[in-house]
Amino acid sequence: MINNMPMIAVGALFVIGLYGVLFKRNIIKIAIAVSVVESSTNLFLIVLGYRTGGSIPVYTLAGDFKKMVLPTPQALTLTAIVIGLATTALLLALIMLLYKHYETLDVYEIRRLRG
Amino acid sequence: MTIGTLYTGFGYWNVYAWIMFFAIGALVVLFIRFTGRSDYEKGTYQDEVFYGGNPVPQDGEDLAVPASSSYWGFTKALASFYEVLVNLHTGILSDYMGFLIVTAAIISLLILL
Amino acid sequence: MSWQVHLPALVLSVPLLGAFVALLMVKPILRNLWFTFILVATTVLAFLLWRRVGISGTMVYVMGGEKWNLTLPSGMALPIRIIMEVDAFGAFMILTGSLATLASGLFSIRFLDRVHDGNKFVALFFLLFTGMLGLEATGDLFNFFVFLEIASVASFGLIAFWRDSPEAVEASFKYAVLSIFVALLFLIGVGILYGIYGTLNMAAVAKNMQVGFLEKVALVLFITSMAMKCGAVPLHMWEPDAYGQAPAGVSCFLVVVGQASLYGMFRIAFSVYGQAFQGSVLAWIIIVFGLLSMFIGVIMAVIQKEAKRLMAYHCISQTGYMLMGIGLGLLALSSPQAMSEYGFTAMKGGIFHIINNAMYKGLLFLTAGSLFYATGTTELDKLGGISRNMPYTTMMFAVAAAAIAGLPPFNGFVSKLLIYESSFVVHPFLAVVAMVTSILTLASFVKVFQSGFLGPSREELASTREVPLTMIVGMSVLCLMILGLSLMPNWALSNLIEPAARDLVNQASYIQAVMGSGL
Repeated sequence: MINNMPMIAVGALFVIGLYGVLFKRNIIKIAIAVSVVESSTNLFLIVLGYRTGGSIPVYTLAGDFKKMVLPTPQALTLTAIVIGLATTALLLALIMLLYKHYETLDVYEIRRLRG
Repeated sequence: MTIGTLYTGFGYWNVYAWIMFFAIGALVVLFIRFTGRSDYEKGTYQDEVFYGGNPVPQDGEDLAVPASSSYWGFTKALASFYEVLVNLHTGILSDYMGFLIVTAAIISLLILL
Repeated sequence: MSWQVHLPALVLSVPLLGAFVALLMVKPILRNLWFTFILVATTVLAFLLWRRVGISGTMVYVMGGEKWNLTLPSGMALPIRIIMEVDAFGAFMILTGSLATLASGLFSIRFLDRVHDGNKFVALFFLLFTGMLGLEATGDLFNFFVFLEIASVASFGLIAFWRDSPEAVEASFKYAVLSIFVALLFLIGVGILYGIYGTLNMAAVAKNMQVGFLEKVALVLFITSMAMKCGAVPLHMWEPDAYGQAPAGVSCFLVVVGQASLYGMFRIAFSVYGQAFQGSVLAWIIIVFGLLSMFIGVIMAVIQKEAKRLMAYHCISQTGYMLMGIGLGLLALSSPQAMSEYGFTAMKGGIFHIINNAMYKGLLFLTAGSLFYATGTTELDKLGGISRNMPYTTMMFAVAAAAIAGLPPFNGFVSKLLIYESSFVVHPFLAVVAMVTSILTLASFVKVFQSGFLGPSREELASTREVPLTMIVGMSVLCLMILGLSLMPNWALSNLIEPAARDLVNQASYIQAVMGSGL
């Protein structure tokens, strides 16, 4: 059970983020919830690469090692973090513009496009 | 003719044969039109719009059939269906996300079981 | 000929260079010249790529390797480095995307005269172009995710380009939240497949694929995320908002970007999973998506009052045709007898519909854009009698509307004929839904034509003039393609579509191109 704790954390973060996107009315909270789902995805990718008792995946810094942790998921996670930065920044910029136009942060009110 | 013939597995489609057929049909129509009356002059009383006996409005805006009133019969006949459908498209972001999650759940039920 | 082996990388790097240099081009004339130059250059490269793939088969390109096709160095079991793999289906999508982008770019040049930071528009446009071409050229799952996000982020900026309009920002926000969430679902699916197989390359995963519980979870995530990005019902609700509020050239462009995610769905369903996925559940899910999209898209379109929103609903319904056609091909994948009976014809119809949709839907969005440029509104209640003032736009709208409604002799009829005939064999209900959709499509475009173009002329619209020349050139690129595809359907089918359909079905050659080469 304790060995599976990272995966349980991934699942819990994902569910918390999903709850935030589905049931919160404030669009800033929705943006934060999307960011939480991003964190859960990044955690999932890093946990995939872990090998028990592995050392850091750098030949010159590892010293004596039997096996290394996989480096590819770490590269994937870095890319995903940078992408997440770009998308969160853009979401927040859009929220600022939305507030300037609609005067409200309630997602139930921002619905001029319907039908 | 064999150029330009597309064979589907069930039949064939030849665009030039269709165009030829249409051109011959157009010639027949023109011939029939040619045998009509020849005393039409543009700009006289023959050109006037018939507006049910009422005076024709000057501005085109009062004369045009607006787009929102087209297909009134169709829309009225399916009114109950349309009400449900248009109210489903609420415009609220959380509802869109809800549809996404429900669809993902249905697909996962179908594929995983 | 030897420089042409680098075409998959060139077709991605030329628009990327265009994006970064465009930020320096502050003077309008310089910016317009650079815009046109890079668009034409990329279209020429896409055409050369398509020709080369047609002649010498699937092209493979290793990014950053010692040799351009060294996928498996010194006898390794799994390929290393990011590998681009362009087979005939990918080359077909790249060619379609480049043509539609050329037309929408030429159209948008005049639109940039009314804004003062047009070089940023050009930069975002080229980033979206790079993202779309990367989606269609890549052979690596995580690279697909990266290009998906590049394309999505660029499109958020482009949809909200008119920052002073509240509806545009609202549309962009809704699309942004949905799109980011769905891309994260895709990334989780990629992570699951990586955790099982230890590789991110599509061909390597396909070679070692054995479908268990976790692969099915990954498949669910992939299908849901790609279905949302291409606009299948019931995940379509962002599409009328986003396509209706974006500038018209961008709407035309977003049509082909949506088709790139359709390409992603089929690449995963046919080439990564392929016949390893037993049963026909996946095929029937895609066919049901197609049926729902066709019907609900067009039913909602008949009652719309605003031209671009109506056209966006039609885009949803045309996507349904593609989903149904290629889904029927997926249904027939396991048995060669079914494939020769209806499957291959359905796939040809679906794939032909992809290029048809890009051409006529793009042209329709561009004509709506010209209406907006000339009159300042796209509300159908306020337009009327413009056909006398704008003859070219009217003629092109008529051609595009006849093509989308599936009237002979246009190309829409050919692809719909293939889909009707093959779906009738599977179950007559599918063909009935397709035909009813076609009739309702004709109905809604007759409504737009009558209320927008025909009818008595209004006083406030009496001074509208035809749109400028570059916009007409942009629209006529697509119009000429429609007429060309209509008059030469058998050439198009045997040279463009059949290699694409054959390569999509042939999973073995897709795997062989990557895993078989190398020293």
